[in-house]
Amino acid sequence: MLGFAIGVPFAILRVYGGRLSRFLVDIYVWVYRSIPLIVLLFLYYWGIFPIIFGVKLSAMATSILALGTRDGAYQSMIFRAALESIDPGQMLAARSLGMGKWEAVRRIILPQALRIAIPGWTNQYAIMLKDSSICFALGVLEILTRTRYVTISIGSYFIPYLVAGLLFIALTYGGTKVFNIIYEKVQIPGLIGGK
Amino acid sequence: MSNGNVILKVENLKKSYNNKVVLDGVTLQVEKGITKVILGPSGVGKSTLLKCINLLTTPDSGKIWLEGIELTDPDVDINKMRQRIGFVFQEFNLFNHLTVLKNVMIGPVKVKKIPEEEAYKIAAKALERVHISKELWNKYPAQISGGEKQRVAIARALAMQPSIILYDEPTSALDPSLVGEVLQVIKELSDAGMTSLIVTHELHFALEVANELLFMYGGKIVEQGPPEELISNPKHEIVKKYFASIYTRGR
Repeated sequence: MLGFAIGVPFAILRVYGGRLSRFLVDIYVWVYRSIPLIVLLFLYYWGIFPIIFGVKLSAMATSILALGTRDGAYQSMIFRAALESIDPGQMLAARSLGMGKWEAVRRIILPQALRIAIPGWTNQYAIMLKDSSICFALGVLEILTRTRYVTISIGSYFIPYLVAGLLFIALTYGGTKVFNIIYEKVQIPGLIGGK
Repeated sequence: MSNGNVILKVENLKKSYNNKVVLDGVTLQVEKGITKVILGPSGVGKSTLLKCINLLTTPDSGKIWLEGIELTDPDVDINKMRQRIGFVFQEFNLFNHLTVLKNVMIGPVKVKKIPEEEAYKIAAKALERVHISKELWNKYPAQISGGEKQRVAIARALAMQPSIILYDEPTSALDPSLVGEVLQVIKELSDAGMTSLIVTHELHFALEVANELLFMYGGKIVEQGPPEELISNPKHEIVKKYFASIYTRGR
């Protein structure tokens, strides 16, 4: 959700904003795409928040922020591709009716781009879900952490990790299924090649 | 033609792209109820001229007035003024996520803030005028033919109740068999008194619909006058050549 909240506005700024906003979004994306997630987590947990902002965040909050801010970078590029796939004529036609630039983005461009971006987001969801297992490193009680507790208490690895794997499969399946249903539901004839 | 009747006035409009002069001082005016057609070979700035008129492209210099208000004045609210200038694109540019009816209604409802029921009536009337039957109103742009799309685009412009409609090669992207229905609609509107400025390569249509022809070449209007005059007695060599080439092509 945080990724979405960052990704969509950043993509709009990247495509329709001025030179400065384009530059800033590019820097943001460059930084967050470069840093490995585990480095980002540790940086947030022991560096940026306690030292620079002076707040000690819980492992859970840090994980959400790290995953979200990083996901925002990836999502902004998914959504940028969707925005740029829309014929510039759509914008021209909206402006020719007397709509302002941002009104045209909101009424004409966004409803088309959001639909087009859904498959990309489905993919990103699946990636994110599994990346969340890295938060194990901070001791967040996610699937992998719990699995480890189980392996310790029963002294066997195979079954618990098999269960964890199956759980990830189920979550990915369920989530992508939901995305696909939404994708079909909001489909408009002819909006996306031949459908 | 008296000045009080002038809808659109363009004075000494200039535009260059990367040092290439596209418009080299265009001056023209269109009076109320009059249809003028701009002819000329490809690449002489006809489309650029139209896009400059409603400032979809920003001209480098020159002035434009719509009904006495200067559009090129930086203090003018261009979004407000564009509501009064209908624009029909070569590639239709219908909004792909909206039905035919919604395409025509979005201008009145969202831009002019007209109540939904009234906007529906305006849209219905506009669609009738371009002969789009009711079965098509709930279709999406991808589900109708090119000729239908362009007629819906004309209805979308009409529904704003503009002072003038600019047509930018409205049939160039159409299959030849669909050209006629679109030209027919433009002619009907023009005959009914819709002030129009049309860029087209359809010479026969131009002769039929225009009160005046403007011939553009090298970024300028080189010759203008009533169709019969321009075609029977062109003064410029380039205009003669253009008509000759079109006739030898058998059009």
